[in-house]
Amino acid sequence: MKAELGDKPPLVVLGGLCEGNSREFSLKLAEKGWLGLTWPKKYGGQERTYVDKMILMEELLKVNAPIQYHFLADRQVGPAIIKFGSDWQKEFFLPRIVGAEEGGMFCLLFSEPNAGSDLAAASTSAVKDGDSYVLNGQKVWTTGGHEAAYGWLLAKTNFDSSVRRHETHSEFIVDMKTPGVTVRPLINIAGVHSFNEVFFDEVKIHRKFLVGQENAGFKQIMAQMDYERAGIERLLQNYHVYRRLLDHIRQMDKTTGFYGWVRDTMAQMEIEFSIGRLLCYYTAWIVDQGRSPTTEAALCKAFCTQFEQRLNDFATRVVGPVSQIRAGAKCAAFEGELALAYLWSPSYTLQGGSVEILKNIVALRGLGLPAK
Amino acid sequence: MDFRLSEDTLLLKNSAAKFLKEKCTGSFVRELLKDETGFSRELWREMADLGWFGVIYEEAYGGSEASFLDWFVLFEEIGKVVLPSPFFCSAVLAGLIINETEDLDLKRTYLPPIIQGEKILTLALHDESGRCDFGRPGVTAEKSKESDYFLNGTTILVPYAHVADQILVLAGTKDPGAQGSTLFRVDGKSDGMKKTPLEIISGEKAFEVTMENVRVSSQNRIGEAGHGATYVEKIWPRAMILKCGEMLGGLQRTMEMTLDYVKERTQFGRPLGSFQVVQHYCVDMATYLESARLISYQAASLIGEQIPCEKEIAMAKAWCGEAYKKSTWIAHELHGGIGFTEEYDLHPYYKHAKASELMIGDSWFHRSKVADEMGI
Repeated sequence: MKAELGDKPPLVVLGGLCEGNSREFSLKLAEKGWLGLTWPKKYGGQERTYVDKMILMEELLKVNAPIQYHFLADRQVGPAIIKFGSDWQKEFFLPRIVGAEEGGMFCLLFSEPNAGSDLAAASTSAVKDGDSYVLNGQKVWTTGGHEAAYGWLLAKTNFDSSVRRHETHSEFIVDMKTPGVTVRPLINIAGVHSFNEVFFDEVKIHRKFLVGQENAGFKQIMAQMDYERAGIERLLQNYHVYRRLLDHIRQMDKTTGFYGWVRDTMAQMEIEFSIGRLLCYYTAWIVDQGRSPTTEAALCKAFCTQFEQRLNDFATRVVGPVSQIRAGAKCAAFEGELALAYLWSPSYTLQGGSVEILKNIVALRGLGLPAK
Repeated sequence: MDFRLSEDTLLLKNSAAKFLKEKCTGSFVRELLKDETGFSRELWREMADLGWFGVIYEEAYGGSEASFLDWFVLFEEIGKVVLPSPFFCSAVLAGLIINETEDLDLKRTYLPPIIQGEKILTLALHDESGRCDFGRPGVTAEKSKESDYFLNGTTILVPYAHVADQILVLAGTKDPGAQGSTLFRVDGKSDGMKKTPLEIISGEKAFEVTMENVRVSSQNRIGEAGHGATYVEKIWPRAMILKCGEMLGGLQRTMEMTLDYVKERTQFGRPLGSFQVVQHYCVDMATYLESARLISYQAASLIGEQIPCEKEIAMAKAWCGEAYKKSTWIAHELHGGIGFTEEYDLHPYYKHAKASELMIGDSWFHRSKVADEMGI
């Protein structure tokens, strides 16, 4: 797999989970058959293993390739459509995703102001109205909501309060241009517009956009969560910081006591990074064995994201005061990338399932500990 | 990429697990630690009969010529029951050193009895202060006119010296043209040798060995004068990974014991394991276990395939030492008072973890090796 990847042009880092949104770049990958790599051939995939996919991802992330256009759709929307989607949905959306076509970019519409870790509390409603559903409510932390053509939505479809919360939601695909959909930017602490609020005001969508079974949203989502958490992006978002830190350390005065601490801590980082890689590949291997990687993915993500936070903090301590200077000044460390990385760090252990939630999953599902 | 063990390795692992589970109950192990000999001779013979001491050695010496990974999984099972025995010092440390030499006579004389469990050998590395400087050991060897050597000095933390037929000792020599340390094979019952038992945390038998003009024939010199350290250095990475195997097994058992406990024990009307903080501590242990498993198996597999892996070995030892130790801290915290009693089965793991961590070298030492490999 590695041999196939060859050289990539150096690219500018734009911060965020995956660097840069470029349909042009995604198209190049699509032409090589590298989108939908694990999908069945009949849907445009290559039927390769998740381990192969991880190798590809590792190489792309190491050079900060701009993969945002196709990233979410390729990672989890496509597989979900393949698993639960209708024939129409497969015919309509899969080519758009795997071919990086116009209208192929997706955002995820899960979290709400009152439903973060407690996703089952999501109250955005989808009320049946003849051949349609009418959506009302609000989503938040929607990464790429301002650029995506479509949104993957979790909404409430059963309003009987006696029914279990995990059996009252459904998944839909929403055209982000549908009248009534409003996207409002949220600026994060890095000063970046990455995520958004998305409002639904009497948004009417045809029932052909319902994915899978009505009220089976949570069941369907659980598999997606595993894919979301199993990726190596959790470990490699700051690889450029890692490499530049290593270069910086190599130039340091080796005779100081400070260097002794730096050296020891950097070796620890290397060990943790290696462990992170092993955990990621092990998780991918589990998927390839046909098993559900729920606890492995959770444990892996918890470990890797915390590692990235430690790495960024350590890097700022090694580099010193210039690490706080942002891009634009000559004296900024790593051209401002270090300051940016440190600003993004709090989000790593929060997005896609906080470390605390992940640990709960490992405890309850993996270790069999009692809930009460 | 395959994370599975071969069928043969799995067979060995499972049969060892079964054997040890039956024979080495918690109370059996705890009694051994209080016993004068410090290990079970009966069990020793059974392990020898099972071929455990000869797994990687050539068939010509009575070994099985099996893979290094097979030895690793064996140590994993031994670690699970924290069995005190001279297996490591004899069949691993002394055996590997002897096997590494080109001295066929030495190998023919000592490998078979080591492998058959008939002779126990051990290795003396620490000087009086506990330092392990292979280049400058605490014992000196002076050549006499008749080309014998006289050994003088003190070496401590020598495992199972009381039952050792031979002690491999690194001694500093001042032979003209051969400065540095030399490796000697010293008879365990030599005149001038005094062995004083040391009581150590783990409870395993370790001794202070003082030598006063202990006469050693030059035939007992292993390899070239002044080059003794190279043998030890050569085998050390492999020995470390087997220790990691032990640590991995101990870590696993520590976690299992703790999970069982927090599922059983109730307070405030519910099992301890239903409290979130307790759950998260358990997940931390599980993370230590999974990470230790992956990183040590990685090194063990590479060694088995004879792929150079100095960095991977150093990473494994650095990580496993800390992971195991910290897991035993969590285990003690979650067990409360009962875990702090001699009667309960947890303390041997806590002690084993510290002993393994400090065994040359601790995580700082091995991180330094990783740093070397990284070029920083």
